[in-house]
Amino acid sequence: MNKLTKLFITFVSAITLTLASISSSFAKVEGDYIVLGSAISLTGKYSSNGVHTQNGYNMAVDRINKMGGVEVQGKKYKFEIIYYDDESNPKRAAQLAERLIKQDGVHYMLGPYSSGLTKAIAPVTEKYKIPMVEANGASRSLFTKGYKYLFAVLSPANQYLEVAIDLAVEKNGGKGVRIAQAFEQDAFSQDVRLGILDAAKRTGSEIIIDDKLPKELNDMAATLAKVKATKPDVLVVSGHTKGALTAIRQISEMKVDVPMLAMTHCDAAKLSKQHGKKSEYALCASQWHKNLSYKDKFFGTGKKYDADFKKEFGYAPPYQSAESSAALLVFKDAFERANSFDRDAVRDALKTTEMQTFYGNIKFGPGGQNTAKPMILFQVRCKGDDCENKVVAPTKWASDKFYHPIPKWSERS
Amino acid sequence: MNAIKQKDLILYSGLIILGLAAPYLFSAFKVQLTYLCVLIVLAMTWNLQGGEMGYNTFGNILFYGLGMYLTASVQVGMFFPLAEWTESGGEKTFVHTTAQYFQGIGVGLLVSAIIPAIIAGAIGYAILGLRGHYFAICTLGLGIAAGEIAGGIEIIGAGQGFTTPPFPAEIVDTEARGKFFYFLSFALLIGTFVFVKYIYGSRFRLILNAIRDNEDKAEAMGIQTMKYKIVGWMVSAFFCGLAGGIMGGLIGYIDSTDVAFDGREMGVFMVLMAILGGKGTLWGPVIGATLFHFFKEGLWTLILGWQYVALGVLIVVIVIYFPEGLMGWLREKYPEKFGEVIDEKDRKAQVELK
Repeated sequence: MNKLTKLFITFVSAITLTLASISSSFAKVEGDYIVLGSAISLTGKYSSNGVHTQNGYNMAVDRINKMGGVEVQGKKYKFEIIYYDDESNPKRAAQLAERLIKQDGVHYMLGPYSSGLTKAIAPVTEKYKIPMVEANGASRSLFTKGYKYLFAVLSPANQYLEVAIDLAVEKNGGKGVRIAQAFEQDAFSQDVRLGILDAAKRTGSEIIIDDKLPKELNDMAATLAKVKATKPDVLVVSGHTKGALTAIRQISEMKVDVPMLAMTHCDAAKLSKQHGKKSEYALCASQWHKNLSYKDKFFGTGKKYDADFKKEFGYAPPYQSAESSAALLVFKDAFERANSFDRDAVRDALKTTEMQTFYGNIKFGPGGQNTAKPMILFQVRCKGDDCENKVVAPTKWASDKFYHPIPKWSERS
Repeated sequence: MNAIKQKDLILYSGLIILGLAAPYLFSAFKVQLTYLCVLIVLAMTWNLQGGEMGYNTFGNILFYGLGMYLTASVQVGMFFPLAEWTESGGEKTFVHTTAQYFQGIGVGLLVSAIIPAIIAGAIGYAILGLRGHYFAICTLGLGIAAGEIAGGIEIIGAGQGFTTPPFPAEIVDTEARGKFFYFLSFALLIGTFVFVKYIYGSRFRLILNAIRDNEDKAEAMGIQTMKYKIVGWMVSAFFCGLAGGIMGGLIGYIDSTDVAFDGREMGVFMVLMAILGGKGTLWGPVIGATLFHFFKEGLWTLILGWQYVALGVLIVVIVIYFPEGLMGWLREKYPEKFGEVIDEKDRKAQVELK
């Protein structure tokens, strides 16, 4: 045998040994820790929202651990999360879910960011019967597949902007409106679109522009040019953080006048900070707002959560962080009610969840979606150069009046 | 000659036994092993164009994505209305029985091999006349365009993505799915390897090499280069389509640009792996893909968030230090291992002449 062959054989056997030794370690509960797994987008197109999600998870883990942890069968346990970066890619996410379950021995999962990635992970968790509480996959089609181990603390995507259309119709004296819409080509935004289609049908509204935007979008001038020409009553845009930023940037650049602008992901994009007055009057769908009057014993009220989060991470929490924190509260509650680490017992406990968190009420429907919490709409309003998000709908939570129509650019200072 | 063959025999049977035993030895790593098989297939087929023929294609991802959509569509469409399956928020659920699932994926894979090959023939006729950078850019466009187009076709889920049929629930063994896809991909790997090895021993490879080295001369020698270029591409498309079909079933969710026509990842990886191992060699892509996969799986999670930076560094290192790939580097260091005889006297004579 020559040197090269020897080297090769050593290399191969070293790898073989390492792999064989890895495959049989780890467990769901190690010592005092309950190990949760999550694939999160730390890079790629969802990286900013992925980080919001991760911060939300971490914040809740710290808080729960500090306040005594999870009590199961008289013993106190702490949460720990294993993270991997899914690179905003469904293929990678599915592979990492497999890895978390098979190699790291994780028995309980937290969701990734975005509907597309959740869609890729759900078949894996389902196959291994791993309960997953997810906080960032809102696509309706997630809840129609009959998944038994998937629980979402958020409202489905089609509900995001339906309310906005209702508002527009109301302002139009109950008559149907003319809608222009542009949606990113991804699972979430396309579901928001379906919600609008339903709402349009219900209210007798007409859709005059129905554009698709590419992923990683940074230009929607073509749609806006059409909007300028056709003068619709409502412009609806959804494309995650980049969609919101692009829309505001180009609407203000091109001075597009439209009476009502409805969007998603305004707070994740920190619109009111990044674009200031340009973003004023934008109407945004949100899962949560700090002014809502829900509370729990871990985070207190929404306002308290907002303040604590700011102290810890240096920015105001978007709803993506809030809902992610809520996911851990749900897990804690389920573990304690199940009083066991048996996956099916935990799943059954999750199924019967009925609780209030600072983020809202949580109760899971048959498909796993949260049915106890309405969506809210807020509007960006400015005083001088200081812009804030004010809740305007539904009326129960509204702190401000909905401003309609949006003044023309020529009249705005 | 006989001795070499015997050595090969031991090597091949050893590798096949390792391959067959792998899912049992490393049970937890089945999915990664399946990925490895598919990556090797992609690297080997890319090597036929990029390495042997000298046509740097970024378009092979087109066939991979096509295969993925075709397999899933056939698997669903054979038994249920496809449009209702992919319709988002559709309230109906369709469940494949065990027999339906396997029949579907069988026919699906057959279709996913044949149709991409036909398409490769058709577009090959149109674009294989381009050379060098023009060909590379054109194929790059093909992959991107395919992703955008697929993202607009409602019947295959458009931007919503396409959830492929779940593995039959009647099979209780949770390991069965992993094993099924692993052995499927391993069979594909063997098939591809045998076929490529056959090509390596044939006149066909010499013609591809002639095209690479000087296409005009090859033409002047009376070789119908276009014909061979197209056939070569069809071969790649055939195996890429199968690889895509298997991956679609394994991942379980097809997204137009991120999973199927994933030029940014798979499309780049296949080129990178072939170059890392050494293009224009039989074993280069295999070694390259294996090393790349180990690097990716082992290292990437340790450097969360920085993995693409590391990948960039890797590319730079490969290009600077191993421009001919690992195989090329070894060949230079140990030429006698590759059957190249260096006449010492002759070499010395040349040095003295200088």
